[in-house]
Amino acid sequence: MTSFTKPTVKKKKPSKSLNAIEVNDLSFAYGKNEVLNSISLEILRNKVTSFIGPSGCGKSTLLRCFNRMNELLENARIIKGSVVVEGHDIYEKTVDPIELRKRIGMVFQNSNPFPKTIYQNVAYGLKIQGVKSKRKIDEIVENSLIQAALWDEVKDRLNANAYELSGGQQQRLCIARTLAVEPEIILMDEPCSSLDPVATARVEELIFNLKQNYTIVIVTHNMQQAGRISDLTAFFYLGKLIEFDETKKIFINPKMKQTEDYICGKFG
Amino acid sequence: MMLEKTIFCITRVLTYFILFCACFIFWDIISKGSRKVFHKEGFINWEFFTESPQTLHVIEHDGETLELSSENYFSFKRSLSDAAWKLLITKSQFKEVKERLVNNLNDLTETPSPSSQKNLLHDYIENEKKEAKEKFNFWLDMLENPSNHASDFEVSEEEMPYLVGRFIIAFLNQAKSKYKLLDNELSYFSALHYPKIDNLTPTNIEDINLAYFNFLNENLPKLWNVFEAKNKNLRERVVEFDENPSTSSFVFLENNFKSIDEVQSLHEFNSIDLLKKISDDLRWISSSFRISVDSKDYAYSGGGIFPAIAGTLLLVGGAMLIALIIGVCCAVFLSEYGKTGKFLSLVRLSILNLAGVPSIIFGLFGMGLFVIFLDWNVSLIAGWFTLAFMILPVIITASEESLCAIPQDFRESSIALGASKWTMIKTSVLPYALPGILTSSILGVARVAGETAPIMFTAAFAMRSELPWEGLEKWTDFFFQGVMALPYHIYVISKIPQNEYTIDMQYGTAFVFLMLVFMLASLSFVLRARLRRKFNW
Repeated sequence: MTSFTKPTVKKKKPSKSLNAIEVNDLSFAYGKNEVLNSISLEILRNKVTSFIGPSGCGKSTLLRCFNRMNELLENARIIKGSVVVEGHDIYEKTVDPIELRKRIGMVFQNSNPFPKTIYQNVAYGLKIQGVKSKRKIDEIVENSLIQAALWDEVKDRLNANAYELSGGQQQRLCIARTLAVEPEIILMDEPCSSLDPVATARVEELIFNLKQNYTIVIVTHNMQQAGRISDLTAFFYLGKLIEFDETKKIFINPKMKQTEDYICGKFG
Repeated sequence: MMLEKTIFCITRVLTYFILFCACFIFWDIISKGSRKVFHKEGFINWEFFTESPQTLHVIEHDGETLELSSENYFSFKRSLSDAAWKLLITKSQFKEVKERLVNNLNDLTETPSPSSQKNLLHDYIENEKKEAKEKFNFWLDMLENPSNHASDFEVSEEEMPYLVGRFIIAFLNQAKSKYKLLDNELSYFSALHYPKIDNLTPTNIEDINLAYFNFLNENLPKLWNVFEAKNKNLRERVVEFDENPSTSSFVFLENNFKSIDEVQSLHEFNSIDLLKKISDDLRWISSSFRISVDSKDYAYSGGGIFPAIAGTLLLVGGAMLIALIIGVCCAVFLSEYGKTGKFLSLVRLSILNLAGVPSIIFGLFGMGLFVIFLDWNVSLIAGWFTLAFMILPVIITASEESLCAIPQDFRESSIALGASKWTMIKTSVLPYALPGILTSSILGVARVAGETAPIMFTAAFAMRSELPWEGLEKWTDFFFQGVMALPYHIYVISKIPQNEYTIDMQYGTAFVFLMLVFMLASLSFVLRARLRRKFNW
């Protein structure tokens, strides 16, 4: 088990535990406004877990708790509980959030590549880690783009500005950028919400393929998408985890009334 | 309907009025300023740009005028007095001197002066030559027949040899300093001027010296007689002199004559009136052999503005550098690190208030803190900091705005990829905010270059003949020297007595100043456009 506190975290070691992330009784607040209330769940290794729920239910907040992105916001604080990633409580003081974020990548709602070339975008994470070897960077950039299923489309124009790509390509570039840092877990915050159906399909296909090597947590508003790509689904409502189970069970036979209403579109 | 039309008309008329005012100001400065900046022939008047400001000397002669800057005026005078001095050497050399003089004048007047000025100079020099020749003849006659000229100086015939001797001494002193001669060379030189020697060759120097000392020995004892009865001090020396007259050198005599003024101040003479008269006469003689050119002098109108241009560029560069470093750091803190709260609002409020402080207050603040308290004197570095403080509010506000305009996404993705906060700011925020920061600095450049009040007490000199990089003993001196600056130069010129020449200077300077600010601004524009192309999103 590698520690986040050490700056030499690179290799993915197979863990005996099936759980990539364990959330224990987590409550989280922005100032006085409690947005997460006693959440407990386990994210399984090499599975796609999707978070669904109406806007403002706290699913994105929970996602951001996993890589401590919430720390950037003022007044954000954990009231109680813990988040354990690979056996370590990530909110302990000894944990270096920078090392943590290298191991837990994140893809955002808006495709937001830097206004640089395609190559520089993918190499950015390596550059800030101080990787100097041009050959190594070239190799990783190519691998990441191949994994993100973008290589064939951009291999001839790696030095073109990333903003010349289409929306879907940009989102896949962002995924490639995340992959280049070699994370173990990838968090996706509504990655397809601003994409057209064709681009969405490609990203979904990509997520399906990535599942073999990565643990993926995805927040989505699109019920069909959650049904198509995820193995497990968690339904949140007003800061509470209402139901968490295999996707099939949630969609076909939800235990809770609220889940059923939401899935059937009675509110949301 | 009526109201709509009226309001439309009023707004339109006022807009045109502003346009008209702007056009008028620019037209005024450009039309009047170009007179100084360009020659009538259409070439750029480089002298205006490259030289340092100096007094303009205007020589009027026969209805025509000759305008000379100090440097040219002095070389003109030098050539005139050279000519006059050369005329005094010997009769036989007169011809040669004349030829040389004409050549010198050709050299002097070959540069773009119109032909009329050449004629003017020629007339002038002819006149000077005539006068010099008359003086020369008078001098010659005075030495040969001193007694004939006693009445000219209103002294007795007895006293005349003293006068002549004193004159020779005064003349030789002048010659000594002028030609930088050693004492032994001086005796050679003095022989040159001895009137009875017309043809000097290196072989007869000894004879000439002998003749010269004979001349002195013959005349000076008579002079000592004048003082003998009156002065003990001098009597002792006269005794020495009488005991050993042949070895008494020229220096000895010179020293004795020097002491006359001291003696005079002791009031031990009865013949004090006589001495006064003699010394006045001597002054008259020596001054009448000096060339004087009558000219009207106009301060600051005779030259260029290069030191002011250099000073302004230095002030702008340094102040902008300091302001950008401090301002960007401050803006980064405010927008990236600072937590919203009372403290930050207080900081913002004080920055806004600072922007409204009049520039003269910044000048006084700079004088109090940098010039007096930190003892930097009136210096470049004091000016830099004063100007930097003046534009800091503008820079901070604008930088903060451009930092805030950077999408939050860039920050989040950078952090999510494992960047520390500073790495994130360095790689994904500052580069994209640079165009905006530069835009604000364009405003800053124009203000820094244009303000007079802040540099008046802290950095600007009215006149400095050395350029900032000249005459530095050590490199730190560079920061602790005052400089000239364009806006202050305009101010200084407007504070001296006004005439047609100063007005030309003012407009010329204003014109150059406008062009300079315009150039600086367009430089920033180009830089910004390039950055925009590079970091576009």
